[in-house]
Amino acid sequence: MVKPATRKPRRLFKTVRPSRAHLYLAPTFMLLGVFCYYPPLLAFARSFYTWNGANAATWCGLDNFRFMLNDEVLLTSVWNQIKIVLFATVVGISAPFIAAELIFNLHSARARYWYRVLLVVPMVVPGVVLILLWQFIYDPNVGLLNALLGHFGIGAQAWLHDPKLALWAIMCMGFPFVGGVNVLIILAGLNNIGTDVFDAARIDGVGFVQRMVKIDIPLVMGQVKLLLIMVTIGALNGYGAQLILTDGGPGYSTMVPGLHMYHQAFLFDRLGYACAIGLMLFLVILVLTAFYMGIKEPDTQ
Amino acid sequence: MSEARQANASRRRVPWCEWAKHGIMLGIVALVLYPFAMLVVLSLKDNAQFFHEPWLPTWPLHPGNYSASARLLIRYILNSIFVSGASCAGVLLLSSFSAFTFARFQFFGRRFLFLAIIVLMMVPGILGLVPTFMVVKNLGLLNTRWALILPYIAGGQVVGIFLLRSFFSAMPDDLFDAAKIDGAGDFRMYASVALPLCKPMLATIAIMNVQATWNDLIWPLVCLSDDKLKTVSIGLLSFQSQVAMATTTRWGPLFAGYVVASIPLLLLFLVASRAFVQGLTSGALKA
Repeated sequence: MVKPATRKPRRLFKTVRPSRAHLYLAPTFMLLGVFCYYPPLLAFARSFYTWNGANAATWCGLDNFRFMLNDEVLLTSVWNQIKIVLFATVVGISAPFIAAELIFNLHSARARYWYRVLLVVPMVVPGVVLILLWQFIYDPNVGLLNALLGHFGIGAQAWLHDPKLALWAIMCMGFPFVGGVNVLIILAGLNNIGTDVFDAARIDGVGFVQRMVKIDIPLVMGQVKLLLIMVTIGALNGYGAQLILTDGGPGYSTMVPGLHMYHQAFLFDRLGYACAIGLMLFLVILVLTAFYMGIKEPDTQ
Repeated sequence: MSEARQANASRRRVPWCEWAKHGIMLGIVALVLYPFAMLVVLSLKDNAQFFHEPWLPTWPLHPGNYSASARLLIRYILNSIFVSGASCAGVLLLSSFSAFTFARFQFFGRRFLFLAIIVLMMVPGILGLVPTFMVVKNLGLLNTRWALILPYIAGGQVVGIFLLRSFFSAMPDDLFDAAKIDGAGDFRMYASVALPLCKPMLATIAIMNVQATWNDLIWPLVCLSDDKLKTVSIGLLSFQSQVAMATTTRWGPLFAGYVVASIPLLLLFLVASRAFVQGLTSGALKA
């Protein structure tokens, strides 16, 4: 029965023959069915319903989507989200790129290894600890940031409570933006470039900056695309910091669609509307991902 | 050989360049790690020291802060260990066995079923949050550990299957033929031939999963309200409101608590830093 996994010539009508293999896959697909296939389908269906979670849902056609267009909070949150995504992609890729270049160009292999390991440490600290740590850094009375700026004669700011500053404060929480996997991914890309390319460049007398622009950046475009997708999805999915620190406030200055969805679902019991928002976010992610994947990698010959 | 000599030569010629790179990198690393160092320094102070000199170490140190916080957090940490451990075990078992099935068997719908699994990597968590909550609620699982463990296993196995299937497919057929001639059945082949060979890959997947489930915030926040069941992520929030929102914030124990909550994963990192780095990088591929 067990055959090596070679592809057989395909016949159009193969008889459905249940085999041991199907049985072996049953646990996996049972779990997937309940927790991975059914929920998105339910979300899709329920976004056309008014649904408070308790009573039966009632069909409302496109009302949920129509309501979005008049939902001031949602519109504000979309604008905030755009700013967050733009900031996150620009900073979240350029900073790791610089760090990766620095590490890659070090002579000592041991130093390269250790810098990589040290930059991973923030990933090990629970996300909540990071958020609470930044809450302290931004604290208006005893926080690190105000103490630091005080040395330069800049007055204390209420970072998370000032509508003008709160969104920036949330966006800058990852400072200096190089902790974590992004650096590792770009480094992996740089390591994939053959040494012969660099040797050829050296022989041709190509300088460091020129090499970076003409060789490194085009050749790690694959990694950059991956990061673009990752960072965008991360930014659209992530609202933990807002949830804990600002709850979207002050006013709605740090509100994002994800948090709005969370509020609608778990505070106001408007699950149908929340599903509709979730669906829109999913579509946005899908379109952006497809768009980024479509970016042509420059000819590397 | 010649390359090493060349590297040596260039180091002798432009040592300042090399030092500059080290200097910038050290600066960056210091910026990244400074908040954590600050955390440790602050966790060893009492309130008088905190207000007098917050940024530098002060004597005497107050390690007592740690025992106070650890007492409050230990239950959450044990909950997290149980939830992450159980999910991780489930993911390893299911994903390795299913990947093995996909790689070594020929059966109806093999390619379609595999694609159906891979497609899930494109579905972001945010779409599933509300409906999955309703599913869990209707199953009567709210406020049980299963509310976390089952979805974690279901979602975690996807990447596992993806990574392991290609690994198992690449294994030479002779290996399995030999086992079959020796009279090994399917399970024997899985357990005695396939599994031992993919241990490093399993370690990578395990780390990826533990890191993700340990740090998960929103799902446990939605599913668990019983304080006895809370995981570290949300337990820390109740810990913070206990320690910080009281009449006077006790800063030392608060920061000690943050450190205590970070220790388990940090230990795991120290033991398996190589698997960790690998796990995080391949975890990125699921995006």
